[in-house]
Amino acid sequence: MLGFELSEPATLDEAFDLLADGDPGVRPMGGGTALMLMMKAQIFKPERLVSLRNVGGCFDGLRIDADQSHIRIGGMTTFAEIERSPMVLQHLPAVVRTMKTLANIRVRHVASVGGNLAHADPHLDLPPVWMAHAASIRIVSKSGERVIPVEDLFAGYYETTLGDGELIGEVIVPVRPEWTSTYVKVTTRSAHDWPALGIAVSANLQGQRVNDLRLVLSAALDRPTRLDAAENELRGSDLSEAALKRAGEAAVAEADIHSDSRGSAAYKQHLLRVHLSRAMHSLAGA
Amino acid sequence: MTDARTIRFTLNGAPVSVSVMPHETLIEMLSLRLELKGARESCGQGLCGCCTVYVNGKSVSSCLYLAQLVDGAKVVTIEGINDGAELDPVQQAFIEVGAFQCGFCTPGFIMMARELLDVHPNPTEDEIRHYLIGNLCRCSAYPEIVEAVKLAARRRAAGTTPALAEELSA
Ligand SMILES: Cc1cc2nc3c(=O)[nH]c(=O)nc-3n(C[C@H](O)[C@H](O)[C@H](O)COP(=O)(O)OP(=O)(O)OC[C@H]3O[C@@H](n4cnc5c(N)ncnc54)[C@H](O)[C@@H]3O)c2cc1C
Ligand code: FES
Ligand code: FES
Repeated sequence: MLGFELSEPATLDEAFDLLADGDPGVRPMGGGTALMLMMKAQIFKPERLVSLRNVGGCFDGLRIDADQSHIRIGGMTTFAEIERSPMVLQHLPAVVRTMKTLANIRVRHVASVGGNLAHADPHLDLPPVWMAHAASIRIVSKSGERVIPVEDLFAGYYETTLGDGELIGEVIVPVRPEWTSTYVKVTTRSAHDWPALGIAVSANLQGQRVNDLRLVLSAALDRPTRLDAAENELRGSDLSEAALKRAGEAAVAEADIHSDSRGSAAYKQHLLRVHLSRAMHSLAGA
Repeated sequence: MTDARTIRFTLNGAPVSVSVMPHETLIEMLSLRLELKGARESCGQGLCGCCTVYVNGKSVSSCLYLAQLVDGAKVVTIEGINDGAELDPVQQAFIEVGAFQCGFCTPGFIMMARELLDVHPNPTEDEIRHYLIGNLCRCSAYPEIVEAVKLAARRRAAGTTPALAEELSA
């Protein structure tokens, strides 16, 4: 970790200019927690770090639209700000619950929601939760901005679809009063370990009937992924044991799960069947 | 700049200015340039809590924090949590309960425990263990640490720091 430049631009335009030269050693910095680990491990050798903490605009703040339709979370908002927001607790309680087993409070005081998404480590807990909530991100760059669903951000293991000079300005989460959500972090060694799988589910239920739902699997794949076939088994049906069993089998069939240090493929497939079903039951019970 | 830059900030209540390199971490600056040895780097990865300091009133792992980023901030270390005359109630409780063996992890635990009591003045055992999840004690003094936090909570609630003996007999 030697010989780099650290700048703290006061405007977004200045940040774009500092990030402009396309050199892989030039990176934006959110909270810096992931970057610092990669720099200390010498996986990443920076030329220039551009801190986004003073750029302002949509990167700051945590608010709900006047018509209560969407929550907007600035890219530099810290995890601690999110978990302590009464507004987030009211509308997105699953996000607040997810924070309880995410790192520790010192990391959550610093880590930013934009940096977390851009890091694109498939083991991270929040990205699947945003996907289950049907969230989008506003991507800003010198040439303008675009809004994409969170699932379109991930291109693979630590890879995103962000172009050179593009930054995650804010996360936009729809407020969906008819939906309930939960996230299950399944660890197989110690509670602190990276998950073997993460399962984020969100559903619009009427008693035991599933009007609509979103199922997302993370950690076991190279990127957080919607389980379309499993969703189709449950959408419009009752939460019967038979339907949940079919959904579990569909999930196992569509997810290309490999063995690794957190468990064999067969074991993780079993965990997926069991925890998917339990997560759906927990929503119906809530 | 890849060169050193002079930053100004408040350290334990007093203004300081220090020349630091962009790659220096906050823990390196505090321990090597400012000779404050209470926070110390152990895991270097945000996991163990030994390097805990407060930046603008919030606990951070100073091993993962670039020093130049505290320009203009308020930094408090374990050396700054009491007035020099009397120990902080959490420090006092750790001593009375004997919440350490080698003491290496203690500054970090005390910093986190103080912050916990600001957020949850009357924490349950679960809340204590959960808040301290990012602090590791190799000597495994965890039961005593939890007891010390409970004692400090009672003391802070009562606004006093009576001797442990009195309290136990009460
Ligand atoms: C001790 C420890 C424990 C952890 N435990 C967990 C855990 O249990 N669960 C979990 O999910 N995570 C965990 N993490 C990972 C943590 O969630 C990430 O390190 C953190 O979210 C990254 O956010 P950051 O703001 O610090 O990112 P940074 O380090 O600032 O940036 C990460 C990447 O994103 C880029 N970037 C930053 N901001 C933007 C932006 N606005 N737009 C575009 N690109 C950007 C950077 O260039 C870099 O490539 C842990 C981390 C630590 C240190
Ligand atoms: S040394 Fe910083 S958390 Fe362990
Ligand atoms: S007392 Fe020795 S590490 Fe905690």
